[in-house]
Amino acid sequence: MMDAPLVESHGRRVTCDDGVVELAWLGDSLAVALAGGAVRLDGPGSKKVVAVHRRAILSACAHPDGCSIVTGGDDGFVRRVALDGDVSDLGCFDRKWVHALISSAESGAVVAAVGREAVVWSGGSAKPIHSFAFSSTIGGLSLDAKGKRLAVSHYNGATVLYPLVAASGRVRLDRAGSHLACVMSPDSGYVITALQETGLHGWKLPAKTQLSMNGYPAKTRSFSWSHRGRWLATSGSVNAIVWPFTGKNGPMEKEPLVLGGRSDTIITQVAFHPTGEHLALGHGDGAVSLVRLDDGAALLIDAPDQSITALRWSKDGKKLAYGDEGGRVGILDMSIRA
Amino acid sequence: MSRIPVTVLTGYLGAGKTTLLNRILTEDHGRRYAVIVNEFGEIGIDNDLIVDTDEEVFEMNNGCICCTVRGDLIRIIEGLMRRKGKFDAIIIETTGLADPAPVIQTFFVDEEVRARTMLDAVVTVVDAKNILARLDDSHEAEEQIAFADVIVLNKTDLVTADELEKARGHIRLINAQARIHETQRCAARIDDVLERGAFDLDRVLEIEPNLLGEDDHEHDQNITSVSLSSEREIDPKRFMPWLRELTSKQGKDILRLKGIIAFPDEPKRFVVQGVHMLLEGDVQKDWRPDQARTSRIVFIGRNLDRTALQQSFEACIARP
Repeated sequence: MMDAPLVESHGRRVTCDDGVVELAWLGDSLAVALAGGAVRLDGPGSKKVVAVHRRAILSACAHPDGCSIVTGGDDGFVRRVALDGDVSDLGCFDRKWVHALISSAESGAVVAAVGREAVVWSGGSAKPIHSFAFSSTIGGLSLDAKGKRLAVSHYNGATVLYPLVAASGRVRLDRAGSHLACVMSPDSGYVITALQETGLHGWKLPAKTQLSMNGYPAKTRSFSWSHRGRWLATSGSVNAIVWPFTGKNGPMEKEPLVLGGRSDTIITQVAFHPTGEHLALGHGDGAVSLVRLDDGAALLIDAPDQSITALRWSKDGKKLAYGDEGGRVGILDMSIRA
Repeated sequence: MSRIPVTVLTGYLGAGKTTLLNRILTEDHGRRYAVIVNEFGEIGIDNDLIVDTDEEVFEMNNGCICCTVRGDLIRIIEGLMRRKGKFDAIIIETTGLADPAPVIQTFFVDEEVRARTMLDAVVTVVDAKNILARLDDSHEAEEQIAFADVIVLNKTDLVTADELEKARGHIRLINAQARIHETQRCAARIDDVLERGAFDLDRVLEIEPNLLGEDDHEHDQNITSVSLSSEREIDPKRFMPWLRELTSKQGKDILRLKGIIAFPDEPKRFVVQGVHMLLEGDVQKDWRPDQARTSRIVFIGRNLDRTALQQSFEACIARP
């Protein structure tokens, strides 16, 4: 007999009206950005749904203050929603879509991808401080661990710059093609992008040595670094593909770990535990699982439903939240003793 | 998951594309369309479902030299899927000077776009008054006709019967299989134009190859159609390698191809379509009992050698 999914004994599920776009932990509370334009705030003792955007939310991230969420919509607005439900405008970009949002609690930076521009807020500013223009639409954004360096992927490569410095120089990383999601290593030593044709391309900095990681059946949309950046987990295959970044050449000429697949469904989301070597996986069939890196042992956290679209650990690593296309949100609480 | 139908709307500058789009957006037809446009200002209708974009064409790194796709469309369609249930179909307007190939190719090569949407038809608005001059001076005007499944031949009130006949004749030379609707001020019936279904493939079956005027050399036509048919069944083991080789060698010149093919012992019709070097084929619905199992294939492109195509197609006939 199959064991019941772990969320049933060690957590709870919530059903929202729209698909889940992104999740953000604000201390002990969870903010859920929903495709219909609303944010659900789920905290101890208070639960509410706040209408934020007129149309779809396309992107969201935790605000550096740790107690509000920043959302970007296809109505051209960037807004901030505090835990008490208070909504304020951070920017309006007319008919442009706000495609990606990232932030760093360490540097206080918030960066939005709005068409061909990377727009920056800093130190809790209510308006953008400046923006960086690119010659094509931005595919993805990533900050290093200190939040000081920004990687921006676009057509024909990626660019690294200092987002908080208006006159920042730019390091160009060239490679033909359309580069979608991107990720920078915590120490800013590597930039990895996901390609339209599937597979990954990377550069080791500062030498710009190129690396290429192929064999993915679907586009990679989710990346996650393990504690101290030793491993990079990636989605886009039926298994989680986990590349080693130890040693001076990173993943070059090394085999990745191949973990946690469920027959033929593609892994859509990956999230390393913030301190341990466990990897949470969201699957295309809606299942959520947890695998241990050293032996690949897997635990089922939730059963199949709709495709998983977001997966986030709380900062202390005690809770894991996930959401799917249909509006199911699950919260696994590791501190519950069964 | 049901796939959302997509209509691509093309047409040279001034042909009446915006008029048609406005008609679609304002008429009461009970359908909700998400519309992807390049110049929002031209539409003049505010609607939550109008998305403004810049055409961003890039080359795929897949070894296929003419395989360009529209990156902006991939992103927008992904974003629109967040609003699932809020609209029934998508219309993509291209700029007047655009080559339609990258748009169509986007729907062939991006797996996620394919999983969520299906290309319904390429609709081209043509100005009856200026078409002949445009065909002489514009490469794009000709390609837009070549790629069409449906042609809205507009401004028929501004031409004489003779001029209209000439315009029709030229369109037929370039594209023998598109459905033509003649209109004034783009007053076409919406359901003649939108959601025609499956690239309007059944139309291929209706073409009489012998009626095509391939000997009409009055105008020096660049793009032409070649339509081939066979009453005898086709051997899949010869047919697919033939098409693959043909498109890999002449893909640059073949703008579109469509075929409905009868294979021996196969109750279903094999449907194949292509854009430049990209091919896609599948067995679809059954041949009707009253339908002759005639295989047909239409090529639209440049430098097409009818005799060579016919001979090589006939070499694919299954031998008993």
